[in-house]
Amino acid sequence: MSAVRATGLLTVRSLRAIPRVPERLLDVTIQPIVFILLFLYVFGSAIHVPGVSYKDYLFPGIIGQSLAFGIIGAGVATSHDMAEGVIDRFRSMPISRLSIINAQVMGQFCEQVLGMTIVVVFGLILGWTPHLTVAHAVELVALMVLAMFAFTWMGVLLGMLVRSPDAMQGVGFIVIFPLAFLAGTFVPIAGMDAVPRAIAQWDPISALVGTVRGLTEGVHTSGSWQLAHPELAMALWCLVIIAVCVPLALRRFNRTLAG
Amino acid sequence: MTPPAIETEGLTKRFGEFTAVADLDLRVETGTVVSLLGPNGAGKTTTVRVLATLLRPDGGSARVGGHDVVHEAAEVRRLISLTGQFAALDPHLTARENLVLMARLRGRGRRDAEEVTERLIERFAIAEFRDRLVKRLSGGERRRVDLAAGLIDTPHVLVLDEPTTGLDPRSRQVVWSTIRALVDDGVTLLLTTQYLEEADALADRVVLIDHGRAVAAGTPAQLKTQVGAQRVDVIGADAAEFERLCLVLDGPFEISTSAEQRTVSVAAPDEAVDLARVAAAVAERGIAVDEIALRRPTLDDAFLALTGHPAHEGSEADAEPEEVAV
Repeated sequence: MSAVRATGLLTVRSLRAIPRVPERLLDVTIQPIVFILLFLYVFGSAIHVPGVSYKDYLFPGIIGQSLAFGIIGAGVATSHDMAEGVIDRFRSMPISRLSIINAQVMGQFCEQVLGMTIVVVFGLILGWTPHLTVAHAVELVALMVLAMFAFTWMGVLLGMLVRSPDAMQGVGFIVIFPLAFLAGTFVPIAGMDAVPRAIAQWDPISALVGTVRGLTEGVHTSGSWQLAHPELAMALWCLVIIAVCVPLALRRFNRTLAG
Repeated sequence: MTPPAIETEGLTKRFGEFTAVADLDLRVETGTVVSLLGPNGAGKTTTVRVLATLLRPDGGSARVGGHDVVHEAAEVRRLISLTGQFAALDPHLTARENLVLMARLRGRGRRDAEEVTERLIERFAIAEFRDRLVKRLSGGERRRVDLAAGLIDTPHVLVLDEPTTGLDPRSRQVVWSTIRALVDDGVTLLLTTQYLEEADALADRVVLIDHGRAVAAGTPAQLKTQVGAQRVDVIGADAAEFERLCLVLDGPFEISTSAEQRTVSVAAPDEAVDLARVAAAVAERGIAVDEIALRRPTLDDAFLALTGHPAHEGSEADAEPEEVAV
C-alpha cells in the first residue's frame, strides 16, 4: 500500500463525514455568520471607521477571524477522531502512519475551505464589495490557502495534545477567541487602550485581518512593523507555525501516542 | 522451525509510576488459542497494545511471528490483526463502507474490496444492518463488524481484546460462535477476557494475569486441577438432616462441612464412582436431601486460589489507564 494511495483513501473517509456530521462545520460557518449579522446590524451603527463603509471594513475582519477559528475546528475534529478507536485500527494496519496524519490534515483543510467559501458567499450576498485586482485576488487566495494549511496543522497538533473535544473548545475560547477579537477585526486597533493595542499590534491574527483588508479594500494601518507589512508578516507567521507544528504533530502521532 | 506466533520475554510497560505489565513471559504457538485472563486493570489491554505496535514496551521484548514489535513494526503490522475492546470503526460510515475502506487500505482494488466485503457480511451475519451508520449499531452488531474488519486478510495472529465485554448474553453467544468458527478454521488467537467461562469455553491454554504479572498458566483443566480435586456436595433438607449427613458420611469419606449452607462436601477423586457411593449411603439411611451433585472446581475457584482475591474484585472504575496525554 503506497503512502499516497492510503492518504487518498483516508482523506476520502474524512470528507464523507462532512455531510453526515454537518454540525462540525458550525465552527467555521454559523459562528462567523452570527458575528456578521451582529456587527453589521446591531453594533455596526455605533462604530465609525474613517474612509470606508463599515460593511467593507467588517468582512475582511470576519474572514481573518474565520481563518483563526479554523484552528479550533480542526482541533475539535481531531480530538474527536483520536478518541475513536478507528485511528488505533489504522495505526495497527500495514500502512504508513504519515498517511494517517496527512489525511487528517487534508480532510480538515477541505472543511476549512468549504466553511470559508460559505462565509465569503454569504458576505457577497449581503452586499460586501471587495475591490480586487486579478493580481491581488491571486495573492489573497494564495495567502489564505497558506494560512488554512498552517492553521489546520496547528489545530491537528492541539487536537492530539488535548485529547478531548471539550478541552479543545476551552483552549479555543481562552486563547484564540480573544486574539481574534483584538486583531482589529471589528474596530480599528488605533482606537484601543494602550495594553490591548500593544497586544493587537503583534497579534498574528492582526496580520491576517490586515492582509485581507489591504488587498480587498486598500485600507492600510500602521502602528507596528507587522501592521505596516501585513502580507509579509502573515506569510512569516504561517511559515513559523508550519515549521513548529508539522514536526511536533508528526512526532506526537508517531511516538508519544505510541507510548 | 517456525517461530511462535507470539513470544514475549520479560515484557514490561509503565505509565509514569504505574507498572501496567511487569516482566511478562507469554508464548502463543501457531494454530493455538491462548487466553489472557485477568480482572480489570490486570494489564491485558496494555499487553495486546504492545503486541499490535500501538504502545512501546519499556523493557523486555515482544515478537510476533519472529519479528520484534519495536524494530520490525512494519512486518508485525502485516501479521497481526487487533480487535479492541472499543469498536475500531469509523462511526460516520456504514458497516459496509467501513469494511470496504479497511479492505482497500489493505491493498485491495475497489472490486476486490467489495467482493471480500460481501463475503464478510455473509459470514458475520451483517446483512441486516449493512447500510446503517456504525454509530447507530448496537454493541453486539458493532462487535461483529469489528471482528469482520479484523479478518479481511486471514491474519497470522488474531488478537481479540475482551471481545464480549459489555455485551448482553445473547450477543455474547453470537460472538462466541463466531470465534469458535474461526478457531475451527485454524486461526491463531490471543484472546483477553475477564470472564472465566469465556476462557474455559474458547481457549486451549490460559494465562492468568494479575497486576501485570502472569500468576499461572496451563490448560483450563490443569488450572482447575491446581486448585484441587473434584468433590460431591450433599445438601441436607433441614438442620437435623444435615446433622445426620455429617454422622453418616464422616468416616467412610473425607469430608468438610458448612452448617450454614447445610452442605457436606465429600472428596471425590473417583468422580462418578464416588458420587454413586455417596448417593447409596444417603439413600440407605433414608436421609432427606435437597441436592447431591458432583462439583468440578471452576476457573473462579482457580483464580481465588492462585491470586488470593476473586476475579471480579475490580470494578469498571479501576480499568487500565488510557495513555494519558500530558
